[in-house]
Amino acid sequence: MIEFKAISKKWPDGTAALTDVTVAIPKGQFCVILGPSGAGKSTLLRAVNGLMQPTNGAVVIDGVTLTAATARTLRQRVAMIHQHFNLTLRMSVAANVLAGLLPVVSTGRAILGWFTPEHRAKACALLERVGLTPKHLQRRAGELSGGQQQRVGVARAFMLDPEVVLADEPVASLDPKISREILGLIHDAAQERNATVLCSLHQVDLAREFGDRIVGMRDGVIVFDGTPEEFTDERVEALYHGAKWEDAPKVEDEVTFEAMPSNLVAA
Amino acid sequence: MGQSMNIKPIPVPAHGATIDWHLDQPYRAKHLFLLVIVLAVLLFTGHRTEMDKMVVMTGQALANVVGLADDSQVVRGLSRVGESMWPPAFGTEEEVARLTDLDRDNLPFLASIQTHERVEQKLNTDTLQLEEQREQVELLVKPLGYLWMVFIKMLETIEIAIWGTLLSVVLSIPLAWYAARNYTANKFTYTLARGTISLLRSMPELIVALFLVLAYGFGPIAGVLALGLHAAGFLGKFYAEDIENADKKPQEALEAIGAGKLKTLWYGVMPQVVPQYIAYTLYILDRNVRMATVIGLVGAGGIGQELKGRFDMFQYDHVATILIAIFIVVFLLDQFSARLRAKLI
Repeated sequence: MIEFKAISKKWPDGTAALTDVTVAIPKGQFCVILGPSGAGKSTLLRAVNGLMQPTNGAVVIDGVTLTAATARTLRQRVAMIHQHFNLTLRMSVAANVLAGLLPVVSTGRAILGWFTPEHRAKACALLERVGLTPKHLQRRAGELSGGQQQRVGVARAFMLDPEVVLADEPVASLDPKISREILGLIHDAAQERNATVLCSLHQVDLAREFGDRIVGMRDGVIVFDGTPEEFTDERVEALYHGAKWEDAPKVEDEVTFEAMPSNLVAA
Repeated sequence: MGQSMNIKPIPVPAHGATIDWHLDQPYRAKHLFLLVIVLAVLLFTGHRTEMDKMVVMTGQALANVVGLADDSQVVRGLSRVGESMWPPAFGTEEEVARLTDLDRDNLPFLASIQTHERVEQKLNTDTLQLEEQREQVELLVKPLGYLWMVFIKMLETIEIAIWGTLLSVVLSIPLAWYAARNYTANKFTYTLARGTISLLRSMPELIVALFLVLAYGFGPIAGVLALGLHAAGFLGKFYAEDIENADKKPQEALEAIGAGKLKTLWYGVMPQVVPQYIAYTLYILDRNVRMATVIGLVGAGGIGQELKGRFDMFQYDHVATILIAIFIVVFLLDQFSARLRAKLI
């Protein structure tokens, strides 16, 4: 159970990223956060693991309020999957996955790379689960394709058996087919562990497919909160402010055009 | 739903459309003014550093070489040194009479005893005339004796360079950690580390070695310390900057799960910067070998000490051998480090 209690965030330059966001996500739910760029999706996710300190309000995870004192232990229960995968590219796939254990491994062991057989077996099992093969183990993460890198990112995230998974636009830089596969992996792996998922997305159809619940955000406030069925085309239109349905971001259509001065456009 | 793919055409300017954009020339009057000032400063300092004289003398030398000028100070100086440097000295000759523990039946490798006739002008005390006096001298000739000695001295120089490099790496790691803005403990440790690095970098090896020779006496200790301290400043600065500039994404991922600073550095930063570290360290080793020859001049051990001795005694043929040895070692080291770098990066 993640509770956001009246979270507000103002950047030092005065712009408001989040304004009075209050929402509770029950255990085991796959909650998709949708909204245009700059709506505050990433900022909200980052409040959960303390990468962002809210100006006002509090985040409560399973009854424990996130503070500087509790951050260390809470973070171990909160995994994160990143838009740009955030792997150490010059390190092997195996080491990248094992790095997911760093909070619970002693510094000496970590520096020597001396992980226990159970830890190594777990890394292998997870890599197999996300669809990689043993020959990938010793390859540098940077040699893998984007989709494979995100698979490694997913495996790393589940190394500590997290209770909460934060996925910050996990498929924004992947093609539609791989996007669906990766989201499926996150969805299933989380369900097996009864982990709560908070996933920000740009693709409405993927949100409807995978989300138990959709939260729509714009300009730092929640403007929609409901099931995928309730997230009708009209509501999509409302969320993306005046945009027509055909213009709403979909997996198949990621081409966008910058507005040109009208006097330059041929009649 | 989105069956029509809704791809809009890329807009093109309408025929005859005018736009109010301006793209100015990149240069203005102030650039010209700046150019004049720079030229004036160059002319002034060029005269003070005798660059004009250098051009004239070099011109004379070139004219002399192609036969247009009768005399050139530069060519005279170079040819005098050049003549005395050729051929390089490879062997040694020692008077047998001065060698107390020479075993005639068991001479060193390649050595032989040769008898030379020495002619000396001596004053005859009775006639007060200079008379030629001939004397048979036995010499122990080692045809490669000096080469061997240069080899030993060169080895000492390389050893000094390697230990200086090791010392600098060991010293620079904590310096780099505290001098990296994103890993230092607080503002005080940052300033302290940066200050130490600047101090170490600002002290030239030669001058440090001069003082360390006073403290530790002649020999390699002063050399190793001088090289190590200076290079620690260099490496500390570059290691720290690499840590600061490393890709933040993996570090953020590890920070997000609460991995801790040291473990984040080890897993999120080190793999990224290690190739650069190796490149810097190899450069320092390369530089230390060259510097180790130079700091020998002030008595800090190695080939430099030998070079200075021979130079001061005008034995330019021995100097030539030393210079060839230095060139070969630096060349080989260059090849070695280039290969190692290519392999590791």
